[in-house]
Amino acid sequence: MKNVIEVKHLTKSYKQNKAVDDLSLTVKEGEILGLLGPNGSGKTTTMNCILALLKFDDGKISIFGKEMAPDAYDIKAKIGVVFQEVAVFDELTVYGNIDYFCGLYVEDKATRAQYVDDALKLVGLEDNKNQYPKQLSGGLLRRLNIACGIAHKPKLIFLDEPTVAVDPQSRNNILEGIKKLRDDGATIIYTTHYMEEVEILCDRVIILDHGKIIAEGTNDELKALAKIEEKVTVEVADLSPKQLSGFEKIKNVDAVSYEDGVLKVVFGKGKNNLAEMIEYLKSNRINYSRIFAERPTLNDVFLELTGKELRD
Amino acid sequence: MFWHNYKYALRTLLKSKSLVFWTLAFPFILAILFNLAFARLHDYDVFEPFNIAVVNNDEFEKNVAFKTAFNTLSDDDSDEQLFKTQFVDMDEAERLLDDDKIEGFVYIADAQPHVKIKTNGTNQTVLKSVTEQVSQTATMVEEIAKSEAGNSEQPTMQIYLNAMKIVSEAEPNIKEDSHVMNMVVIEFYTLIAMACMQGAMLSVELTNRCLPNLSNRGKRVAIAPTRKSTTLSSGLAAGYTMLLFSLCALILFMRLVLGVEFGGNIWLIVLLAAAGSLSAMMLGMLLSVALKTNEGAKNIVVVIVSMVGSLFAGMFGGMKIYFDNMLPFVNKISPVGLITDGYYSLYYYNDLGRYFVNLGSLLIISAIFFILATRSLRRSRYDSI
Repeated sequence: MKNVIEVKHLTKSYKQNKAVDDLSLTVKEGEILGLLGPNGSGKTTTMNCILALLKFDDGKISIFGKEMAPDAYDIKAKIGVVFQEVAVFDELTVYGNIDYFCGLYVEDKATRAQYVDDALKLVGLEDNKNQYPKQLSGGLLRRLNIACGIAHKPKLIFLDEPTVAVDPQSRNNILEGIKKLRDDGATIIYTTHYMEEVEILCDRVIILDHGKIIAEGTNDELKALAKIEEKVTVEVADLSPKQLSGFEKIKNVDAVSYEDGVLKVVFGKGKNNLAEMIEYLKSNRINYSRIFAERPTLNDVFLELTGKELRD
Repeated sequence: MFWHNYKYALRTLLKSKSLVFWTLAFPFILAILFNLAFARLHDYDVFEPFNIAVVNNDEFEKNVAFKTAFNTLSDDDSDEQLFKTQFVDMDEAERLLDDDKIEGFVYIADAQPHVKIKTNGTNQTVLKSVTEQVSQTATMVEEIAKSEAGNSEQPTMQIYLNAMKIVSEAEPNIKEDSHVMNMVVIEFYTLIAMACMQGAMLSVELTNRCLPNLSNRGKRVAIAPTRKSTTLSSGLAAGYTMLLFSLCALILFMRLVLGVEFGGNIWLIVLLAAAGSLSAMMLGMLLSVALKTNEGAKNIVVVIVSMVGSLFAGMFGGMKIYFDNMLPFVNKISPVGLITDGYYSLYYYNDLGRYFVNLGSLLIISAIFFILATRSLRRSRYDSI
């Protein structure tokens, strides 16, 4: 697969702060790349530099094999962007909004009408096409925001947290729509605070912090970076401080926490940790209602690498 | 692409309740209110001279031009009589005012005329406006008379009369039918000028829409394969269309329904509105690009520029002459002042020279605003968004 985006040694500073620090990345054709990082990690700045919206201090950015620039209209024609903030006209209907933004790319009226219908269908707003944005719920508004960004059938799509503050039904609809865009051949760069979305959608993930890439790979490759082997969660009604400190003495235990009747024990290595845990509970006559073990998630990896929760 | 953007820009503007109110409805409402406020003044036939007093102190007696003007305006044999004037001393004038026998009185102190009134009303406004006009004319007469007489001599009555003749002949193009009502029509002209200035508000909104550092929609437009100049010019053209339409409607409403006299032919009236609107649109574009603040704050600046310009140009009680004396340059560079003066010159003079000076000034100012704005806009990528 060829590279759709190539970023080499990108550097961008705001006065003394380096927002992006010698960052290099590639995005391959047809993939969904997850761009993760805590707030202020440089995700949006990187995106804005790639889109030629921001000046940058150093580096080179090419898209579809050509250098990106504000007047690179042939490249821009193939790009769609869904910004985090809803950017539509309250004075236009759903159909009018999509038609307007699509019309900035597609001049032929008949083609545009077809594209607008396709976009309405993709985000499930066919029944709302004559409504105004203020008549839409938050979830439907987000769907409209997406439709406005992708109606012209771009080959490369940037989605910046498109599911923030939407209801589960709309989120599912949006995620299904994104998969369909990928299936139709689009390359997608996806930023989100929802780790489960990354696990469902993304073929590859880049984790940014302080303007640098600190990890890169598929979901499994990133999980393999985690220092923990297993997390065991136990629902225990009551634990004394003595009992709690006893868990730390179990073999391979790295960390123990107890909050609101939920005990969490992290094992750094080992294969029979759950059995060891059950044995310990029995031998110390600690009553529990539920116990289960989990493999590390991307969130654990993110926490280990950045020291922050993704939603911080 | 131009027409696509133009069509949608026009559609969104026409559906924006706040913009429609300020651009279309507000000037009409003000015009109706002005008409109600000046209804009596506006009707030439029912205008009746009212009682005033003039304090005939030493300074008044020495000021030949002032004395002659008030004698003329108080002559009950003249068609131009405005006042029924009693020439009295200061104490008597105060007493007459306290007893509501007069609407106000005029006295000269430190070579400056002063007007004292008890309440505010139409007659009081007329008295103040006329006094300011007479004062301006008297100053000119005084200067010419002194110049004629030489610095060492006190001007004789004959010299004063000659000077008054010179002043009256200095404006030979004054139309015969232009009456003392000029301060009232100026109110309406400043209203048209203020309506033109709504273009700045439209322009701020339309410019913000196109620029990624000013709005989220601007980001979306900026990443589209469309030239910034195309999206911006088509948007501004839509705003200009809407503004011109509303101004034409306002002018026709004033002329045909309210009976406001403009003097010139309709095309000159519309042409001035078009030039005024253009300068306002360019001002809005410049403010939008140059001010590093949000849209609300920019609109506040636009409103302040518009209202201060209107005040200087003569809205809100005929302060034009006062401001012309205090800060004469303001009305020479303020779009509101130039538009108002352009209409006034159409109404007042036969010669179109002054009208075209105002028209040309508006176009030059528009060009300056445009050049400054586009220079800023050429920085097509931003240091921060």
